[in-house]
Amino acid sequence: MIKVRDIKSNINLWSILSLIFIILIVLPNLNIFINIFNESNQNWNHIKEYLLKDYIINSLTLIMFTGLFTIFIGTSLSWLISVYDFPFRNFFKWGLILPLAIPPYIGAYTYNGLLNYTGVIQSFLRNFYNIQVNQKYFNVMSIKGAIFIFTIFLFPYVYIITKSYLEKQSSSLIENARVLGRNSMETFVYVVLPISRGAIIGGVSLVILEVLNDYGVVKYFGIPTFSTAIFKTWFSMGDIDSAVKLASILMFLVFIILILEKFLRGRKKYSYTTSKITPISRKRLKGFKGKLAFSFCFLIFSIGFLIPTLQLIHWSLLTYKDILNIRFVKLIVNSLSIALISSVLIIIIAIVIANYCRLKNNFLSKIYSKTTLVGYSIPGAVISIGVILFFINIDNRLYWVYKMINKNSAKLVLSTSIIMLIFAYIMRFLAIGYNSIESGFEKVGNKFFEASRTLGMGITETFIKVDFKMIKPAILSGFILVFVDILKELPLTLILRPFNFNTLSTKAFEYASDEMIQEASIASLIIIIISVISIYFFYKAGNKEEV
Amino acid sequence: MFLKIEGLKFRYKNAKEETIKDFSIDINKGETISIFGESGSGKSTILRLLAGLEIPSSGLIKIDNDMIVNDKNFVLPEQRDVGMFFQDYALFPHMTVAKNIKFGLKYMNKKQKNHRLQEVLDLVNLTGLKSRYPYELSGGQQQRVALARALAPKPSILLLDEPFSNLDTDLQTKIRKELKKILNKTKITSIFVTHDREDSKSIADRVIVLNQGKIIDKGKPKDIFKS
Repeated sequence: MIKVRDIKSNINLWSILSLIFIILIVLPNLNIFINIFNESNQNWNHIKEYLLKDYIINSLTLIMFTGLFTIFIGTSLSWLISVYDFPFRNFFKWGLILPLAIPPYIGAYTYNGLLNYTGVIQSFLRNFYNIQVNQKYFNVMSIKGAIFIFTIFLFPYVYIITKSYLEKQSSSLIENARVLGRNSMETFVYVVLPISRGAIIGGVSLVILEVLNDYGVVKYFGIPTFSTAIFKTWFSMGDIDSAVKLASILMFLVFIILILEKFLRGRKKYSYTTSKITPISRKRLKGFKGKLAFSFCFLIFSIGFLIPTLQLIHWSLLTYKDILNIRFVKLIVNSLSIALISSVLIIIIAIVIANYCRLKNNFLSKIYSKTTLVGYSIPGAVISIGVILFFINIDNRLYWVYKMINKNSAKLVLSTSIIMLIFAYIMRFLAIGYNSIESGFEKVGNKFFEASRTLGMGITETFIKVDFKMIKPAILSGFILVFVDILKELPLTLILRPFNFNTLSTKAFEYASDEMIQEASIASLIIIIISVISIYFFYKAGNKEEV
Repeated sequence: MFLKIEGLKFRYKNAKEETIKDFSIDINKGETISIFGESGSGKSTILRLLAGLEIPSSGLIKIDNDMIVNDKNFVLPEQRDVGMFFQDYALFPHMTVAKNIKFGLKYMNKKQKNHRLQEVLDLVNLTGLKSRYPYELSGGQQQRVALARALAPKPSILLLDEPFSNLDTDLQTKIRKELKKILNKTKITSIFVTHDREDSKSIADRVIVLNQGKIIDKGKPKDIFKS
């Protein structure tokens, strides 16, 4: 039986705020589910009959092939880096993470610019060797091209997770397999792949969620998928009901993927309980084999980072005189300030919920924790629909208040403001901030909190004087991760930004969509540079921790 | 009766059995009580319940006739006026010795705080180390800082969770004597938890033997440990 005493002792600022935040996260998603069962209209019948099949086939083709190729590239690279020594291995170890700094939509138009008729490759072949190539081999704007783009810019998810698993967990198994007379290839196939299955699946499911979230690449390449369809139904046809129906099918797909991931990962657990981690003694590759390993890493690094970055730098040098003006400065200010405000809010909310959850550690806190994490799996297009419906609903209910403040007030106030976009960022990226802060709290444990309480401090005082100072690194890393992700974000920003509000990412995408690829380069480079700095920061921080 | 515990019961989440089963005891002011038992007997849980870090499923605790917890009331840990010494000390790593000790003195002004700091540093023989950080201290010194920090706010009861478990044997004997001296000097009511009979013998006025959450014996140390 629940006692009044227990309820009273559980009610405090942290529990109340957590509850409010969780309700605010859940409500927009509920909007989607409530509207699924609205009667179908003519548009929907048309979509169902002629278009839906394409959306499903295209989305599935993209996730399947991108998944397979990222597994191949990510796993083989993580194996090479963890087990062998070859020229420039230390550089590639973190250099191979760098493709993540280039958002796929930027990669997409950069490669299109590189490979099309007027691009540097074809111009070079034409001008110097008089070679006219068959355009079909150089056309990246297709579903195959999209798979290439997603693979080359998203494989680091698989690479990072599998590498850190191999480094931490597998040394004794790999060494055992060697002692038992297995060669490298056999060890890889019979030992490494099966034991690192969980890590590989974890990485590839992040890749798949990113592909489903993408709007920029598929829109630019003209591939009809769920994301583009939701946008089109909403913007071009103004049909909320059909957009919601599409969003719910996409959610269903995500749901299946998450269950599949759990199923594939969860059946067997191979991680050790021992805390002793012996690093793998790496085998030196000499001569041809060493060169081969180097060449493979260099090839992937070049395609995934070096070539597109050099191309963007080249374009920047051509266009900076026209681009760098006061309007561009405003763009940077817009981007940085909205990313800053949203990241600060996300970190505050993540701290409140994470602190509540660690202190309570009950059924309710587990639900809170799961709810917070789910946002990252929901594609941007779906979040957008939920958030718009939610804000229009609020505007309708608050209209009388607006009128009291200003007689001539428009009906839609919040839903045409920047607040809606910030709210959507919070829904999507809260998981990243939360993960970081939760692990910070886990490391510190509860003993300092308890010591402070017995010394007369309340929960909030304890947080300010003790917890906050101890989880500062986690707060900082969470903040940087969220900040960079928001800076790169495209689908939410495109659909939810107020009229005439541009950020670096939307402007880059707009330029590229208007066939002004070179003009998009400076905005893209700024995004990439900030991302590279943050990746480097994390690589260094991660290394320090491992030591 | 200064501290009264009656019919205390407690079960951890997901535990099959109750960790504390019907625990009752009366303690006089100034008494030093030792709760003695094997690991897992629930002795640390008693301290956590007294400090307010756990909520009992039933039973009551009264300190100086004030109801601290029963079926209707629950006084928060920060309002209980109970000091606690943690097994692994829980010294705040980002604060110096002085700041750790002053942490619990929030209602004093600066002058009073500095005065009290000096008093407790003298008491535990740590004068001169107040600017050090916890990681710059030896195990024995850390232990004394933790004790000083718990004593500084002059709590009505001091709870000590395995105060000697992290020290080597030679140091244990020395610090046992010191702790006895300090407890006598401050005349504070204290309860300490231990699995070492030497601790109980040399410090406690009374011993309570706990097994699987139940009191199986209690009395003076010389009677309990006569064999």
